[in-house]
Amino acid sequence: MMTAIEFRDVYFRYNEDAPWVLKKFNLKIEENETVAIIGHNGSGKSTIAKLANGLLVPQAGDILVNGRKLTASNVWEIRQNIGMVFQNPENQFVGTTVRDDVAFGLENRGIPRKEMIERIHTSLTQVGMENYQNHEPHNLSGGQKQRVAIASVMATYPEILLLDEATSMLDPRGRKEILSTIHDLKEELEITMVMITHDLHEIILTDRVIVMNQGQIYKDTTVDHLFNDYQGLQSIGLSLPLTVELAIELERQYDYQFTTYPLDNEEFLEALWTSNLKE
Amino acid sequence: MDIQFERVSYTYQMNTPFSYQALKDINMEIKTGEFVAVVGHTGSGKSTLLQHINGLLLPTEGQVQVGNFRLSRDNKRQDLKKLREKVGVVFQYPEHQLFEETVERDISFGLKNFQVPAEETQARIASALEKVHLSDDVLQKSPFELSGGQMRRVAIAGVLAMNPEVLILDEPTAGLDPKGQHDIMNMFYDLHKTKNMTTILVTHQMNHALNYADHIFVLADGRVHMKGAPEQIFSQVESLEEANLDMPDILSLMNQINQKFGTDLCYKRQKPDELAKEIVEQLRENKPL
Ligand SMILES: Nc1ncnc2c1ncn2[C@@H]1O[C@H](COP(=O)(O)OP(=O)(O)OP(=O)(O)O)[C@@H](O)[C@H]1O
Ligand SMILES: Nc1ncnc2c1ncn2[C@@H]1O[C@H](COP(=O)(O)OP(=O)(O)OP(=O)(O)O)[C@@H](O)[C@H]1O
Ligand SMILES: [Mg+2]
Ligand SMILES: [Mg+2]
Repeated sequence: MMTAIEFRDVYFRYNEDAPWVLKKFNLKIEENETVAIIGHNGSGKSTIAKLANGLLVPQAGDILVNGRKLTASNVWEIRQNIGMVFQNPENQFVGTTVRDDVAFGLENRGIPRKEMIERIHTSLTQVGMENYQNHEPHNLSGGQKQRVAIASVMATYPEILLLDEATSMLDPRGRKEILSTIHDLKEELEITMVMITHDLHEIILTDRVIVMNQGQIYKDTTVDHLFNDYQGLQSIGLSLPLTVELAIELERQYDYQFTTYPLDNEEFLEALWTSNLKE
Repeated sequence: MDIQFERVSYTYQMNTPFSYQALKDINMEIKTGEFVAVVGHTGSGKSTLLQHINGLLLPTEGQVQVGNFRLSRDNKRQDLKKLREKVGVVFQYPEHQLFEETVERDISFGLKNFQVPAEETQARIASALEKVHLSDDVLQKSPFELSGGQMRRVAIAGVLAMNPEVLILDEPTAGLDPKGQHDIMNMFYDLHKTKNMTTILVTHQMNHALNYADHIFVLADGRVHMKGAPEQIFSQVESLEEANLDMPDILSLMNQINQKFGTDLCYKRQKPDELAKEIVEQLRENKPL
């Protein structure tokens, strides 16, 4: 299997007087993996995404994308295959209308006109913004901006998708719908996906969870095992989903046993059912 | 300061091909010292509504009364500075309210602008930073050289430093880490309780609306679709469905447990350990011998 993104002994700081954000940082993300990166504010998540995309350049160490080392001369070409949704979508709008904004990335990649029109239509429909084609991106509501930013990036069919808190302003239902659309596209096109998030519901959809703490990987694990070390997570500023909190209480006080902590209602009910029968 | 919306409508970019009516005939009343949550689907008009309370937007039709200020289309010229001194707004995107070269100057800006005595400035800044859990090393940094969550905290600190009477929060926890969300919501609640601060919170987290609000307004397509106490709102599943909203996690979980196990759990702000206890007790009771 090919490695999609690799950080090799990367050092990065924003300027010479500032402390290192990443120090001898190593990370490998395999092709077609879905990885969540979580961690406290300022732990380095967005910095990692911007380095992977060549928007920031490390002071030392190498960053490889699909096995190729990122350099000043190939960064533009490599970036064509990477789609990134920024933490603030306003930072990525280039078009004066929603439609132009989606079109821009496609024109840039030389997509034929007929296909372009199709992709614009499909991606805007998928995020529920098809009726806003002629609106100015800056005049949309907070959540609509995020939807358009996601559509613009999905339309390019990237090989690697970096989502930096891309759904933080969506209503819960809108978030679920859009995440499921993204996942369908991921499956269809075998996209490597990195999701930076504070939303513990979002990580349920991933294969692997990387927990950042002060510029270092605190834990590299899977969703099922993430909460085994719940005290540790709490100590670095993360909190537990309600179902996990309840499961912990049931174990601690009432001798229930959970093989893995339930991450959503269905899993919780299932686990409660099973252990209730045993009791 | 009591707040009242009377038949308020608002249309963006009137008389252009892009004209869009974002608010339709809004009536609502918020009493001094209340904690109100405004919820609704993307684009339902929440941010537009909030911006009417400090006169950033003036109604196209109808009027908004905030304390002694009467805001309507005809009286554009009144002194809104006095109003803005009392009504603090934390915007949906923190970048929209940060503009100075350093965090310190950003937080002091409002204080200077509203003639807070210089000797008080430092204490106000220190107390605001503490409330958002930032250390004072950030003071000399540019607000734009911070992480998203740190920027959010600075934006909140700037508004808190003004000691507003009315605090308007447009998704203040978006971008905060989970502990930050918890701490900062509790901090807002504490200010509301101890200083009787009128608080208006826009949120997508139904749990926050359930836990903190005295009243909830549900917006749908620019109209007030429902209003009432949290327990009342969240018992009307069908009406919520029409507004495309979900129940708070804890309520949907309790409902599902009741359905599956025939229990009779009901929400009374239980902590997880209390809820776990109730679940176990009820399951044991229900169990056929
Ligand atoms: N443009 C910048 N200039 C200088 N320092 C920066 C800049 N952007 C971020 N930093 C600093 O680098 C560190 C890591 O920031 P980063 O944005 O990667 O954090 P993050 O994990 O994405 O946090 P958040 O959850 O708040 O978005 C922080 O201490 C931050 O203050
Ligand atoms: N400056 C503007 N010009 C034209 N239309 C606008 C402008 N700002 C907002 N709108 C439109 O008004 C409607 C309401 O927007 P508003 O920002 O109030 O929604 P919201 O409820 O805050 O949504 P969100 O949860 O996504 O932040 C949306 O359909 C939006 O596209
Ligand atoms: Mg970030
Ligand atoms: Mg909004």
